[in-house]
Order: sequence, then C-alpha cells, then structure tokens
Amino acid sequence: MFNEETLNKYKPIDNKIFSLIDDEGKPLDKKWQPSLSKDAIIKAYKDLLFERTADYMAISYQRQGRMFTYPPNLGQEAIHIASGMVLKNEDWLVPAFRELGAWLAKGVSLKEIFLYFKGNEDGSRFQAANRMLPVSVPIASQLVHAAGIGYAMNYKQEKAAVFAYVGDGGTSEGDFHEALNFAAVWNAPVVFIVQNNQFAISVPLRMQTKSINLAVKGVAYDVPSIVVDGNDLFAMYEVLEYARNHAISGKGPMLIEAKTFRVGAHTTSDDPTKYRTKEEEEAWAIKDPLKRLKGYIAHNKLHDFANENALIAEFKKKIDAEFEAAEQHGDYKLDDVFGYMYEELPSELKRQKNALENYYQNSGGAK
Amino acid sequence: MNYVFKFPDIGEGLEEGKIIEWYVEKGQSISSGDALVKMETDKVVTDIPSPKSGIIVQRFGAIGDTVKVGNALVEIETEAGEATMASASEPAKANSTEAIDEKGFGVVGTIEVAGDGAYLPSSNEGIAIEQIVQTKSQKVLATPVARAMAKERGIDINLVTGTGPAGRVTSKDIEKHRSGSEAVGLVQTPKMQDAAPQTEHEFVPLTQIRKTIAKNMLRSKQNAAHMSVMDEIEVSELVTTRARINAKLQGTKLSYLPFIIKAISIALKKHPVLNAELDFDNERIIYKKSINIGLAMDTDDGLVVPVVRDADRKSLIQLADEIALFADKAKSRKLSLDDMRDGTFTITSYGSIGGYFAVPVINYPQSAIFGVGRISDKPVIKDNAVVPGKVMPISMSVDHRIVDGGEVARFLNFVLEMLAEPMLLLAYEGGER
Repeated sequence: MFNEETLNKYKPIDNKIFSLIDDEGKPLDKKWQPSLSKDAIIKAYKDLLFERTADYMAISYQRQGRMFTYPPNLGQEAIHIASGMVLKNEDWLVPAFRELGAWLAKGVSLKEIFLYFKGNEDGSRFQAANRMLPVSVPIASQLVHAAGIGYAMNYKQEKAAVFAYVGDGGTSEGDFHEALNFAAVWNAPVVFIVQNNQFAISVPLRMQTKSINLAVKGVAYDVPSIVVDGNDLFAMYEVLEYARNHAISGKGPMLIEAKTFRVGAHTTSDDPTKYRTKEEEEAWAIKDPLKRLKGYIAHNKLHDFANENALIAEFKKKIDAEFEAAEQHGDYKLDDVFGYMYEELPSELKRQKNALENYYQNSGGAK
Repeated sequence: MNYVFKFPDIGEGLEEGKIIEWYVEKGQSISSGDALVKMETDKVVTDIPSPKSGIIVQRFGAIGDTVKVGNALVEIETEAGEATMASASEPAKANSTEAIDEKGFGVVGTIEVAGDGAYLPSSNEGIAIEQIVQTKSQKVLATPVARAMAKERGIDINLVTGTGPAGRVTSKDIEKHRSGSEAVGLVQTPKMQDAAPQTEHEFVPLTQIRKTIAKNMLRSKQNAAHMSVMDEIEVSELVTTRARINAKLQGTKLSYLPFIIKAISIALKKHPVLNAELDFDNERIIYKKSINIGLAMDTDDGLVVPVVRDADRKSLIQLADEIALFADKAKSRKLSLDDMRDGTFTITSYGSIGGYFAVPVINYPQSAIFGVGRISDKPVIKDNAVVPGKVMPISMSVDHRIVDGGEVARFLNFVLEMLAEPMLLLAYEGGER
C-alpha cells in the first residue's frame, strides 16, 4: 500500500513515475497485491468502459449537430474512475472540463452533461451531485476556488477533502501557482490533480514548460508532490487514497501529476493530426488504461469478457435515453439569462431583455 | 415522415464544409449514429453521423461540393416511431423564417439558421437583435460614412442588415444592400441605362493552407539570402534510358522525377551543406543526417510539399511509387502532418505545368531548392554540328549565407553530369552519407 515511505521514493526532482502494473496489466512487483476487492476492480472496469462508450456517443451526437461542442476523455479515464472510487459524498469536486467518470461517480447525470454541452445552463444545476462546482472552461481559474473551499472547510472544521483538476497547460497559469501557494500556507485539504495529457490544445508539453515534470512545480510551495502513471488505475487509486487521507488528517494539500495522453481531439472543434504524429499516438496506444486494466483482470481470471458486446449495447441504450431526455428538457428560460446578477436590471439589460422577448414572440419559437 | 438532415455547425461558428466522401447511397437503410458523409471544414475533416434511423431517400451534393451550414445533406425516410420527433423541430424554424420574411427585410438569404430550429448559433445573435431594434424604429448602429451614403442614395438605413461589430451598419453593408434591394425591388429601381456596373471587391478569408503558404514564403524571403543559378542540359540519353526501362517494367512507370531525385540524393552526400540549415541564433550549421526530399505539388487548394524520406536509400521504382501515392493523397487532401515534415531539400518540377526557367523560393529553413523546367526539343551542337536535342532547363536557388557560389556550381555540375549520362547513377549509387 502506498505510504509516506513510497512518496519519499518518488521525489519529483528525480523524475520517477509511480506505476504498479505494466503495459500488459501485469504487476511490476510480483509481490504486489491490489488493495481493491475483486468486485471493486470489476466495477472500475465497467465504469471505465461506460465512460468510454458515453464519450464515443457524445462525439457522434455532436457531429450530428445535436450538441454544440464536446471535450472527449478518451485515454484519460483511469484518472477519473480512480478519483470516483476515492471521492466521498462529503468531499468537494472542483472540475475543469475533462473528468467525466469522476463527475458520474459524484452523482452527475449524463443528461446534465449533455445539457451543458448543448449550451443549456440547467446542465450546471446538478440534481444529485453533492458538493460539486460547475464545469470550468477558463483554464485553472477553478483552482483558486478549490483553495478557498479548502480554507472554508478548515474553518468549519469539516473532515473532508477537495479534489481539484487542471490540465498540463493550466500549470502555466498564474491561478495554478496562487492556488498552490494559498492552499499550502493555509494547510487547506486540497488534492490538486494535474491531468498531463501532453498537449495544451495544440501546444506540446516541451513548448509549455522547461520543468522536468509538472509535479516539481509543487516543491517550491512545500506541497508534497508526485508523478503518477495516469493510465494505471491501481497506481492512481493508491495515490489518490493516500492524498485524501493526507488532506483530511490536517497535513494540507498534495499535488498529483497524472501522466496520460489525450487520445481524442481537444474538443470537437480540434484536429490533432495537424500537430502530432502517428508514432506518438501509437506509442501511447500501448499504454491505454482500459487495455491495461483488462489485461490485469484477464491475467488473474477475475472476470469473463464474453458478454462485453451485450454490456456495451446496454450502455448505449442508457446513454441514448439520457441524451433524448436532454433534448426533451426544453430551453433555458429567458428570465434566467438576466435573473441573477442584479436586483434591478439596468436599463440597457432591460432593453436587451425586451428585445429578445419580442423576437421570440414574433418568431413563434419556444421560450 | 421524411426527415431532412441539414449540415450542422460542428465547429463553433462554421459557415460551410466540403464533401470529401459519401458513405451512403440512395435507398440504403441506415441506423442512427452511422456515418453518412465525410466533410472537410476549416477546423477538421470528419465523418458526419446520422441522427436518425431509416432509409436514404435523397442525397444532396456531390464530392467536392461546398455545403453551407444549415443546408440539406440527406433526406431520410424515418421509421414510424421517429416521425414526431423529426417534425417537432421543423415548424419552429419555418415560422422564424416566415416572421422575418413578412417584415420584408429581404435578408432571409443571408441568415443561416443552424440545423436545428430550436437554437440559433451565437454568431447570428447580433443580427437577430438588430432586427428587433428595427421593428421598434430605434436608431440603428451605423458608421457616419454609412449614414451619409444611405441618405445620399435614398436608402432607409433601418432596413439594412449590419455586419459590423454589434450589428453596426458599415459602408460595405450599404453597398451590398443597394445591389441586394435592387434585385427584390424594395427601393425604386433605377432605369437600366443608369445602372452603371459597380466595381466591387470580393473579400475572401484566407484558408488555413493559404495562411501557411503565405507565412512560409515570407519567412523564406526575409531570412534566406536567395541566390539563383540556371542551366540547360542535353538529356537525350536520359529520355532513351527512361523509355527502355519503362518498356521492361510491369505496373509502375517512371517519370523523370525519380531520376532527378536519385541524382540529387547522390550529389547531396558529396555536398552536405546543401542538405543543411543555418542555425543563426546559435551560430552553427546543422548538417542533416537523412536525405529527405520534399516535392512541391500543385493542388486546387494550394501548394503542398510531401517528403520522400531517405530518398538516397530507395530504388527508382520505390521513388516512383511514393511519388504516385503522394500525388494521390495531395489530390484527395489526405496528406498528413507526417507526410510533410522533416524535409531537408526540395525539388519543384514546375515544368510539368509550364515554364522554362524560374527563380524558386527556398523551403526555409532548408538551404536549397532545385527546379526543373519542361524538356524541349532544341538544336544543340555536337561534334561541331547542329543536331536536334532534348534540353532540360533547370533553376536552382540556394541560401547564400551558407552555400557559396562555387559550391552550388560544383553540386550542379555533378547533378547535371548524372542526368546527361544516367549510367553514372549506377556508378555513384550507395555509399556513406
């Protein structure tokens, strides 16, 4: 089990990556046993498969013109599923925009996610997810909120943690550094998770930073930091579990760099063939998280994959139903567009609101 | 119930896309999620899946056609159960079009509503608001020049669709409105003899490929010290050799290009500075270990330069096959980043289209480019007699910062010697780089 001793063996400055299984899913250390039960492992596998299926479906909906945009999670799912296994109901989830599996574990519905990417604000109003901020597209801005929430939890003497996500590009933002510094100074129980997927849209990591890795950036703030194999579900689970315990026992924040690869495009508006090579994609395909987890399961004969196609068909049905529910949801109310900023609308906004009301009336459309 | 699937805005503000490939035929049965068509847009080349299950009743557009966002791609006869859903979103759009139409703004053609009538793309929101402003006869946003022009021409500026910031009416809009409203007869049509043709410029945004070409050309001309040299070479021997080889070959036929690539690859080994680049910032020359020859290819969209890797290690046939593959890919826009990177020297065979001599622009940061003109029948002097000859003109540009005149002349002599006497290619082939 991952402990302080292990953490000390993986100092970011030495640029070592914490990993438990190899590319085939076999344990790197023969004596290693997972701390997860057989059932938990099978569930993780199914959750990962579900996230991936939902991703493919979402991309297809977008291409059908039924959703404005979508940021695929393909290849990064182990980080999300492991997060979901560690996150407790009382913990806060502070998302960026590419952590689908973790959101689902927190109780967000796919319908809500689809609504969000259809441009409907109701998609940010999570009905069943306790303690989760809305999706944050402005890079790294969410991390200062996470530090603030952590501070508030200390103040209220709550024994829970904040899980905050950002990408590799986000570590170049001022907000990242401010959040790390404040969380460290305030001893805030924040687990910072950097999903290093190698590209900030089209900017490769080597053009993004001169640091040997991203975890090393936490050292200056005296935040315990580590680079983890983000495509290894077991490694991610153990480190996240350790980090949560570290945070809730009053020791403050941790920084986890989860090294992974964005298999898909940045969003549906992006074409990765324009800035990366096939060789690079092929080299990472060997490390695919689903393939590795499946390898572990097969190797230890924990599960029979015979019914996988039926399982995927069942997933697809469920996902389709969620998407149709999002399509039937109805449009966002015009009042809500103007409703939350001012007690009394300034004249210019009043004019805009009237204009829109007239427009929708005249056009006979919804709203 | 038939469902018309319109090309959706799949890229956050797209206007149009080009049909690359159809995956479905008329009469074919499809399931929702099946790929219908491959489209190229400003942002991506992607498959467009069907939102409905059913039978394809009609396909709109042929390969190569440009389709505007909001225009029909296919008509699908949907299964009974789906009919209601298909029609649900339709009336909304029809109504919105009518409503605008009734007011007689005459701008329906310029408004592109995205595939689903339920929502407007953000880029059109400004236009929508502008129209409401017009119905309330408030003062529209406009530049002073546009107001003056409108007054002068007797155009009601409230009826003009503004395309400037926040829907501001600009002089261009007045200009456009004039010709547009003449067509629909909204303002008094001037008599035919008065309607002098107006010179109008067309503003076409740069495509990604054009932007890249422009940037690269400028970078080359601004950074490299171009020096060009031209020459002619009698290639009767090459013409005969090629014909003799092609007569024996099954399948692949050789053009002159493989011979030229071969001769240049051999010569580059002896003259490595032509296969190098100047790293001015670090005050050094970078000699390239591989010989990767870029081939300038003309396509409908613009110049592309796929790269033949390790050209010195490939046979004439391999080179010919690779050229054919690249030509194919270039034509169907399938060249990838991998196909076009890591070039160390470039050849442009402009003569295949036309032109005798040229001054080629170096594919910066490479140090040289070799151009080949059209082989022509010309009189040449052999053994003191004028005889008919096959003359190949060549034009070469080098970066004089690192390649001296003497060096390029020696390189050229060697290349031309091998092209004049192709048997020499056998003699020099192989060896260390």
